Amino acid sequence: MKNRNPAGTVSILLFLGYMFLPILATYIFSVAVRWDRSILPEGLTLDWYRTAFQDRWFLIVFTHSITLSAATVLTSVVLIVPTAYWVHLRLPRALPLLNLISTLPFAIPAVVLALGLIKLYGQGPLQLARTPPMLVLAYVIFTLPFMYRPVASSLEAVDVRRLTEAAQSLGASWPRTLVQVILPNIMPGILSGGLLVFATVFGEFTLATLLVGARFKTFPMQLVYYTRRDGRIASAYSVISFTVAWVTSLVILWVATWGTRRGAGRDVKGELASKQASVGGTV
Amino acid sequence: MSYLELDGLVKTYGEVDAVSDFNLVVDKGEFISLLGPSGCGKTTTLRIIAGFETPNRGTVRLDGEDITEVPPHHRGMGMVFQSYALFPNMTAWGNVAFGLRVSKQSASQINQRVVELLDLVGLGDASQKYPAELSGGQQQRVALARALAIEPKVLLLDEPLSALDAVVRVSLRQEIRRIQSQLGITTVYVTHDQEEALSISDRVVVMRRAEIEQIGTPIEIYTSPKTQFVATFIGTTTRFEAVVDDGRAGRVRAGDVELVVGRDLSPEFGEGERVNVFVRPEAIRIAQAGEPVQADNILPATLESVTLLGPVIRLSLTCHGLPLVADVNTNERSRFARGEDVLVCFQASACRVMREQES
Repeated sequence: MKNRNPAGTVSILLFLGYMFLPILATYIFSVAVRWDRSILPEGLTLDWYRTAFQDRWFLIVFTHSITLSAATVLTSVVLIVPTAYWVHLRLPRALPLLNLISTLPFAIPAVVLALGLIKLYGQGPLQLARTPPMLVLAYVIFTLPFMYRPVASSLEAVDVRRLTEAAQSLGASWPRTLVQVILPNIMPGILSGGLLVFATVFGEFTLATLLVGARFKTFPMQLVYYTRRDGRIASAYSVISFTVAWVTSLVILWVATWGTRRGAGRDVKGELASKQASVGGTV
Repeated sequence: MSYLELDGLVKTYGEVDAVSDFNLVVDKGEFISLLGPSGCGKTTTLRIIAGFETPNRGTVRLDGEDITEVPPHHRGMGMVFQSYALFPNMTAWGNVAFGLRVSKQSASQINQRVVELLDLVGLGDASQKYPAELSGGQQQRVALARALAIEPKVLLLDEPLSALDAVVRVSLRQEIRRIQSQLGITTVYVTHDQEEALSISDRVVVMRRAEIEQIGTPIEIYTSPKTQFVATFIGTTTRFEAVVDDGRAGRVRAGDVELVVGRDLSPEFGEGERVNVFVRPEAIRIAQAGEPVQADNILPATLESVTLLGPVIRLSLTCHGLPLVADVNTNERSRFARGEDVLVCFQASACRVMREQES
């Protein structure tokens, strides 16, 4: 590779700068004494982290967001995995429809979704409107593509139909087939889907504000609150948010390689490692 | 002693008949092959037996009991698939143990049985390997052991050897037959490979276009095909398009060639009716021109090509413009050279006369 094309190198550097400079700046800003009237920060400090952690809201919003994320991932898996399995197995002709539905959330702005949900669930016996459970349900819709896509491609990668028939001929019922045969083989998809959903929900602001607002403060709400008061504390919050995403990735990765055995485990590792990079940016 | 009875099975997909009026009675311990070209309905029939498809009409009976509506996981039929369909997340041991765990046997029972079965298929030392670490042939052995583990009432095999290479295919099919006889297990085997079907079955069901063409022992199917399709689909054969010349005397005429077919054709065919006469290549003897020979049919022919098939060489000949194939022992190859004029000899009893079947 002697004659590198300089245009190529430049475009790669531009891309990397575009992606990583803001993150780098956030990190530096979160430990800078002041960084608004000089090229380099005027000294380094951990005061902003101390302020962030000492805030009496910190633990509350952190717990709220973790709970929301976990609840969304769980609901999403329980709803989407069996559905996707069944459609792949029994209604392959409905697949195009399911694929279309699963991309719809991309096309619907969060504001529209929020207004629709409030209007629909505002009356009636359930009275779910403006409660955290409703926010979870809204998040399941909002993150549907993130869960469905990886699960669907995992289902396509293994011969779901043959495996199911093999299990049935050995006497296994539907639930048993799903849990013991199908789930372990599509685990990479569920894990990467879960990771994307978790990270997305943890950093989501619009829906949370519109649907429940100050009654159930989330981590990003607190972050936004600080951007209006002190950008350095807000930066510290951002860095913590990044860290949560990374830690969740690592935990899932660790669980995956420990839980699934050899052959399958290796695949999970590779797939997740590539997913991690993309997740960093969404939070 | 009828064990598995298929009675008037019909399965249609929209307008297309996959199986139409399939009737078969299988005895306990019998090895039955469903043989036919792709799309003939053999796999659909097998899937109906397994319970993966519900027939539009007809019944499946097992040991006298109607099981047409019984779901597959309550049928107790072991199935082996072309694509092996091993569970990738389990070792060979885990795959074989799966069905035993479902039936809640004790751990020691399971372990004993799994070890026994893996030994039976010759994979005793591969029990801790995952499917991805096994060759195709080994995977199919594990799949066979897995299906046998549940002591199935019927063993169903759907083109189990089609994905394997030739050498493995032959050895594994002999092994399937050995294990089947040893365990005395009733088996239905689907294949499109006629050699496979003929070599391992007790009886062969030849299918074409959703229908049964013929049911018989391999030797019946090979030597006494009932239809033109069976005659041409099974093995190689020479076809003479002929007209009945003298039905009572069993004489037909194919172009310029007069053939003696050795039976009275008059009850079945009228004078001048178009018929096909089939002769197997191994029924033909080749003699040097001028050599004294005795046979019902002796035709002068020219040798067009010589192809080595292994134990035999296949000779393509023309006789008054009609193509002919004959097999001779490879030891005799030096006697034959391309372009040579020879005599084609075969007995009248080697001729199968059949009415033209629409294709």
